Amino acid sequence: MLRKYFPAISASARREERIFYLFILPWLFGLVVFSIGPVFGMLGLSFTDWRISLDNLQFVGLENYTKLFADPIFWTSVGNTLYIVVGRVVFGTSFALLLAILLNQKVPGIPFFRAVYYLPTVTAGVAVALVWIWIFNPRLGILNYSLKQIGIQGPNWIFSKTWVKPSLILMSLFSVGPNMIILLAGLQGVPKELYESAEIDGAGHWAKFKNVTLPMLSPVLFFVIIISVVSSFQNFTEIRVMTEGGPGESSNVLIWYLWENAFIFLQLGVAAAVAWIMFVILMALTGIQFRVGRRWVYYEGEA
Amino acid sequence: MSTEKLSRRAFLKLAAASGSGVALAGLGPLSSIASAQDQVELTFGRHWEAAFRPRQAEYDEGFMERHPDIKINITYNTWADHNNVVPAWAAAGTLPDIIYVHGSRATPWAHEGIIIDIHDIVTADEEFNVDGMWEESVRLYRVDGRIHALPYDHGPIILGYNKDMFDAAGMDYPSEDWTMEDMAAAAVELTDPDAGVWGWDGRLDLGNGGGGFFTGAWGGVHMNEDETEMTMDTPEVRAALNHWYKLIHEDKVGASFTEAESFPNSQPFRAGVAAMGHIATWSTPSMRALANFEWDVAPTPMGADGSRYTGAFGSGYGITPTSDKPDTAWTYLREYLSLDGMIFMWSLSGRGSPARPEGLEVWLNSDPAPPNGHYFLEAMFDYAVTGPPFQSLAAAQVSNVLSTQAELLRLGESSVDEAIAAITEQGQAALDAVADDM
Repeated sequence: MLRKYFPAISASARREERIFYLFILPWLFGLVVFSIGPVFGMLGLSFTDWRISLDNLQFVGLENYTKLFADPIFWTSVGNTLYIVVGRVVFGTSFALLLAILLNQKVPGIPFFRAVYYLPTVTAGVAVALVWIWIFNPRLGILNYSLKQIGIQGPNWIFSKTWVKPSLILMSLFSVGPNMIILLAGLQGVPKELYESAEIDGAGHWAKFKNVTLPMLSPVLFFVIIISVVSSFQNFTEIRVMTEGGPGESSNVLIWYLWENAFIFLQLGVAAAVAWIMFVILMALTGIQFRVGRRWVYYEGEA
Repeated sequence: MSTEKLSRRAFLKLAAASGSGVALAGLGPLSSIASAQDQVELTFGRHWEAAFRPRQAEYDEGFMERHPDIKINITYNTWADHNNVVPAWAAAGTLPDIIYVHGSRATPWAHEGIIIDIHDIVTADEEFNVDGMWEESVRLYRVDGRIHALPYDHGPIILGYNKDMFDAAGMDYPSEDWTMEDMAAAAVELTDPDAGVWGWDGRLDLGNGGGGFFTGAWGGVHMNEDETEMTMDTPEVRAALNHWYKLIHEDKVGASFTEAESFPNSQPFRAGVAAMGHIATWSTPSMRALANFEWDVAPTPMGADGSRYTGAFGSGYGITPTSDKPDTAWTYLREYLSLDGMIFMWSLSGRGSPARPEGLEVWLNSDPAPPNGHYFLEAMFDYAVTGPPFQSLAAAQVSNVLSTQAELLRLGESSVDEAIAAITEQGQAALDAVADDM
């Protein structure tokens, strides 16, 4: 029966297979020891009263989870996380796509602009966050200064409960470099003949974008969205440096809530439970995206 | 700032002067030269910024001269990260022998076994004068009545003022008989929106600073004595916060949160755009270095009933359970935290806030100390109170609630009633959650 799954192969193929496994062994080791292992280790610890020492851990069942679900700040952080994730993914992906399309044009100086838009990505996150604190400064920041020049009284940005989340989303638009590069590569992979055929059929710019670019780009777009969702959940630096979850709890996202419980309140068991909840949410969202993706992602090889 | 090295000779001179020289000299044959393999390595987790590290290196060089069998190895964290790094070290079992302990962390860290009970070591050492430290400072590190760490600094928050701005306005400087109303009236007088200056820095510290000097002046307290109950929902606290709120958001004589954020370290007073501000001894070196105006200090203004109040706080050092040489660690701490060690590290250097009254007296003659620096000393003797929370396992959570609500008040995003209600509800929930573990 197993022969169906493992058909007989030649000696040279078997040797090649062994070499393959030998080469991936270091990665496999890293995956198991540093990724999969801690993920399941954390699951076990989330059922304990772990604070600092791993000695004398007491099994507390679902207590950490019930504690979390009864904490209004936890639910606030879930809401804040979803708000920021949706904002970052929708606006970030759209902006990255727009930039990629613009940078895919044949006009002079394009390599310069590609470098400029990628530049924030190679700058340290803490440095970027510190610069943005000043950009958002309500009194001295360049943002409110610019708005004032056109007669608009700017808000308090990261110092306002209402504006802090939109501020963080706005700021994230300046770090779309990697997604822009991926989408640009995708755009450059779209066969020119398809555009030529569309033009012969009388398609305009919008029709070409909708019927050629988007379908051909959909696998890349799908990848970018998946990665953006994951990275938006894990975004910690800006919160740590710029807002520390405030004002009030208005930018308290799950990753900050986790960190606070672990390193400020020393409730590592609770923090482990938060980590697992984040893991489950991310897995669920990714699963949903794969399911929905079947409807809109076009793989040329499967056509 | 003094840059003299604390050589063996200088240290002994200081030690002899304070009557502890015999004991320190008797710690071992000073002429002995230990080979490298005989040396014991003592590891530290500290947080000094780069500018203060040379002073620490000088002290340690002197110490190693006196104790050639001990080698010192320091890991420096940033101030902001230290409290997060230590639990990670503890969880990984890689704690150094001696760690810096902020006063607010002593109880939870003692409870979690990050620092050991050193009560017997300290009290058995007849030559170490623990009674010569401010009792208010040692109180921070007593857990269930037993000493778990020792303070190196502890200081009060009093009133600082910009002499140039008072002179320009032709006004008298803040005096010993000033009340909160006098301060408010002066702040109104000194505020000039067109010039972009405020009468006061507008600070509101509801955490370990004990509410700065606000709530206490009205007789309000944040928590009960044993830190099991929030006591913010009282007419006294409400009156104090309403007074503060009116000054900031109605009279606009102090910088709001967003306004303060426009200045380095969020300090409009140091930037010279606020005529008065809160000031602690530990912030005097940066005032001396960065304030380009004449400044001085005054006692905290009195409340309506003539009482005076301010918060005081500080930090210390503890020995960790992973240390396999607690005796050697104590050999270091007993000298480092002696009067002579404190004078070298915190008084003569001008750093400020040594946890011993005699050390603070010596500091008064250092360069960063303002002309009326004796008011710091008087505050410590007369009315400074170590601000809660620090005795509860939920101290970090309660501090978090207090600072969050203080920020919302400063931003004008919360009313006084809303802030008090939130602090009472969330703070009490945090205290109740740990009640069984205390």
